[in-house]
Amino acid sequence: MYANPVAYVFSCIFVLIAHFAMLTNIWFNGNYTEVRDVAVLGAAVIILDIAYFAVILAFKQISYALDFLLILIIGMSVIFQSCFGKVGFDVKHYTTCIVCLAACKAGYMLCRDHKLLQDKKLYIYGAIGVMVLITLVFTSAENMWIEIGSFTLQPSEFIKPLFVLACATSIADQQKKHKILIFNVVYENIALFCIMAVICLVQVKSHDYGSLPTFLSIYAVGFLLRICYPKAKFSKKKLFGVIAVLVVFLLIGLKYAPDYVQHRLHVDIWSDKTGDGYQQSQALIGIANGGWFGVGPGKGFLVNVFAFDNDIVFATISEEWGLLYALMMVLAIIIIASVPLINPTRSYFHGSMSACVCAAFIVQMALNIFGSCNLIPFTGVTIPFISTGGSSLLVSGLMIGMLMAGQSPVFKEHKQKKQEDPEPAWRWKE
Amino acid sequence: MKSIKRTQRLISLIITLFILGMAVLVFKLIHESSFYMMNSDKHELGFVYDRKGDVLFDGTGEGSYPDNYFLDVGNIIGDDKGQMNNTLVANNIEKLNNYSFSNGLMQNGGKAAIYTTLDHASNRAVFNAFGYQDGCVCAYNYKTGEMLVSASLPSLDVTKGYADIGSFRPGTLLSKTLSGTVPGSTQKVSTVVTALEIMGTSNLYAKSYNCSGKYTNQTGDTIDCHNIYGHGTQNIQEAFENSCNPFFAQLIEDDEMPLDRVMKQYEKMGYVLNGGEPTYYEIDGIQCDTASTTLEDKYQFKTQWGCIGQGDTLVSPMQLMMWQSAIANETGRMTMPYFIDHVTDVKGSVKDKAKTRYSDKLFSESTASSAKQILLTNGADRYAYSISGYTVGVKSGTAQVDEGAHENSLLVGFVDDPSFPIAFCILIEHKDSGYLTTEQIAQVLLDNLKNNN
Amino acid sequence: MDSLNLILCAVAAAALDICILVLIITAYREKKSTKKNWHQVSNDMELAEQDKTYELGCDEVLIGRHASADIRLPDLSVSRYHAMLTVANGVWTIKDIGSKSGIFVNGELTRETILHENDMIKLGNRRLLFRKRRDPRVR
Repeated sequence: MYANPVAYVFSCIFVLIAHFAMLTNIWFNGNYTEVRDVAVLGAAVIILDIAYFAVILAFKQISYALDFLLILIIGMSVIFQSCFGKVGFDVKHYTTCIVCLAACKAGYMLCRDHKLLQDKKLYIYGAIGVMVLITLVFTSAENMWIEIGSFTLQPSEFIKPLFVLACATSIADQQKKHKILIFNVVYENIALFCIMAVICLVQVKSHDYGSLPTFLSIYAVGFLLRICYPKAKFSKKKLFGVIAVLVVFLLIGLKYAPDYVQHRLHVDIWSDKTGDGYQQSQALIGIANGGWFGVGPGKGFLVNVFAFDNDIVFATISEEWGLLYALMMVLAIIIIASVPLINPTRSYFHGSMSACVCAAFIVQMALNIFGSCNLIPFTGVTIPFISTGGSSLLVSGLMIGMLMAGQSPVFKEHKQKKQEDPEPAWRWKE
Repeated sequence: MKSIKRTQRLISLIITLFILGMAVLVFKLIHESSFYMMNSDKHELGFVYDRKGDVLFDGTGEGSYPDNYFLDVGNIIGDDKGQMNNTLVANNIEKLNNYSFSNGLMQNGGKAAIYTTLDHASNRAVFNAFGYQDGCVCAYNYKTGEMLVSASLPSLDVTKGYADIGSFRPGTLLSKTLSGTVPGSTQKVSTVVTALEIMGTSNLYAKSYNCSGKYTNQTGDTIDCHNIYGHGTQNIQEAFENSCNPFFAQLIEDDEMPLDRVMKQYEKMGYVLNGGEPTYYEIDGIQCDTASTTLEDKYQFKTQWGCIGQGDTLVSPMQLMMWQSAIANETGRMTMPYFIDHVTDVKGSVKDKAKTRYSDKLFSESTASSAKQILLTNGADRYAYSISGYTVGVKSGTAQVDEGAHENSLLVGFVDDPSFPIAFCILIEHKDSGYLTTEQIAQVLLDNLKNNN
Repeated sequence: MDSLNLILCAVAAAALDICILVLIITAYREKKSTKKNWHQVSNDMELAEQDKTYELGCDEVLIGRHASADIRLPDLSVSRYHAMLTVANGVWTIKDIGSKSGIFVNGELTRETILHENDMIKLGNRRLLFRKRRDPRVR
């Protein structure tokens, strides 16, 4: 049973209060024709909150902090998305949010036993292979979605949690060394590098440069958490050498990048205000128009701009709710990513998994926010939980489930055939 | 444990980097939000005032004003319509925006305004004194740098819009004070300063050359004097007062005036020589052309003609006026002019208060005081009656434009009075088409500035 | 901007802030119970040397001379990565991960063995006692 009933009750109450304050704001400031719209939205959010509070008790976790943070941000997301342009309950987003919550619990159940995951690592590689194949076969540079009925799925998104699982490692795995020529290598690390290369190639082929940094950051974190354990010391000199080589390759890549990439990098949004810089310049104007406290839910004009609810969602929220509130929302996501700092995981596998998830969340958020505000080139990635998009929400749910697994893990030994390693040839005798 | 701590350290590193990025972003957003807002379709502009609170530009477009109320400042103050882009409003439009990040857009009651140093009454009086003739006038306080008068004819009343833009006369949409014009004999001020700087005062005064109405230089070209009978043998003061071209041609040819030093001094004073890249002075965002001339071979007609103020030489009236400040202050440093005294934001709090700035040193103090003496003597000898009531140091000039078809009349100078420190430059285009003289304009200008203060 | 809008926005932001704060406090409270839970899982054991004790805070504890080892024994007779302690079902196991000098538990050379309370582990020249955790406040 959960050890902190008082904390549980208080958390429930304050999450409800936070949502209720938002709804009150809509009630008085919102742009709506009928009070019924606000009532329906409010009821939906509050019911979802209470339902989730009840459901999580069934999971008997050690830690529920992440669940509360998740439902807090999901409720905010539903409210934001329902208010864009005009207050009206957004059923589709609500449904995907429920899917996200379910995915979160599924992710938790799958990942809480890290020994099991380590044993089944081959299946993870297999799954990544399947997803890569699906991406290659069913999508193209023009269209990276697969349409099933009225739902669209983006297969490359689903590679993310799988890749995070592949990147996560335990110390024991890092000690399973094999000698090739004079190098002690861990097969897993080579496999991971190959997977990374394959994913990069697929992303480049399908012109999905936006999610490339996310994968690279996940890999970078995975890599950094592995290099502590090779027998030969990985000196700083070598590390800097590798970084220098990577930078050179990056520069060469940028120099010979295709025209449309070059164009993205160099476009001046203010001189091309009606063309390629339209989204970004409108987003910035929207933020400026909103100021600290916003123009009021449903009263913004950014809803007329393409991709207002995912690519430039930060600006849309800033305009309607104010920059202050948008920053609070970002803070909430940062807190989600930093829960492993407050409450450390108890196994290296979960630790490295948490770090990878955190990197994925933060990098995606950075790409979206900084991109839409013209600090870095604009890419069409989503903010986890806030942007619309079924695949994105589902995957974010899965990844937060992984974080949760790190918070409430189980340590079980699985029966397996043990293979004896050969003894070292020489050994001191007592 | 150590290994778990490692993962935590990585997470905190990523989060720290992100938070730093967010801090930069928020700073940038707040800092540039006014600029973003100017790019949107809706903005609420404030007023531009003169030094006494008289309206020079009404951004709201709602006030009613007498006919042609803004005519005299039309092409220097400008408007937000985008037809003129080298005007005060066009270059400082963000300062007029009634918007701030914390207050949002003020629909009405915003107090964003630009308080300029111009004197609207004097400006209008000078403007009207031109009558049907074209030209321009600029005047400023050479001690502080406050621009007092900047008028350019023809001009336009910005409240009347641009519907009949086709019938505007050439030069309506730009202020002539800012663009280069042939300086005529006012260029001789620069040449005298250069000679003083190179030779020294006593050495220059010792020089005397003969003028017989025309002078054939060493390469065989003829420099004409406007007095066909010649001025006889003169020293520098006499030649300056006579504005004698042969004297100055011979001065340039003098062995004590090496061309490289002349070029160096000219460049110091801001000339762009021999077709170099043109540069600009920036006065509150308004671009003012710098002078340009040709100095290739001191025995050649083109170079001598350039030093006399004809040929390729172009100087903006603003720059002529600024050189006067370097002489009048006896420092060798120009006082940099400014239009904007201060700006108020949406809430009416004052910011961007202007400070007096000076240029780099163009020439030495002794050169400045010698040149000042030459100008003052010229003023006392020739202009004591035509510009009465002021101790002025002046130099007139007649510039041939349109390949000699027309003559422009110029007058640069300053008032030598610590309580009334005014430097000015007056240009009347096509002076032969009327009876207006630059001295008349100067009298109107100084009288108005004196009485309106 | 009317003041109502401003106040409500501020209230909503403040409510969110307070909520985040409460959740952080919840996380801190949970830290205590997770610790308790961990002690249950790990049977509340620790490793002790003559004058030093090493906490066993996660399910894989690496012992060796290398700087990245969880329990660092700066002694040349200890390999860089010498041994690994793992826990499952509340039982700790010590495993040799390719050391030069081997692991001796209660004097017996071993590759992998289950540890019991008060076992003496010898790694190179270093001796470690595997014992129940003692609260430093109760001496």
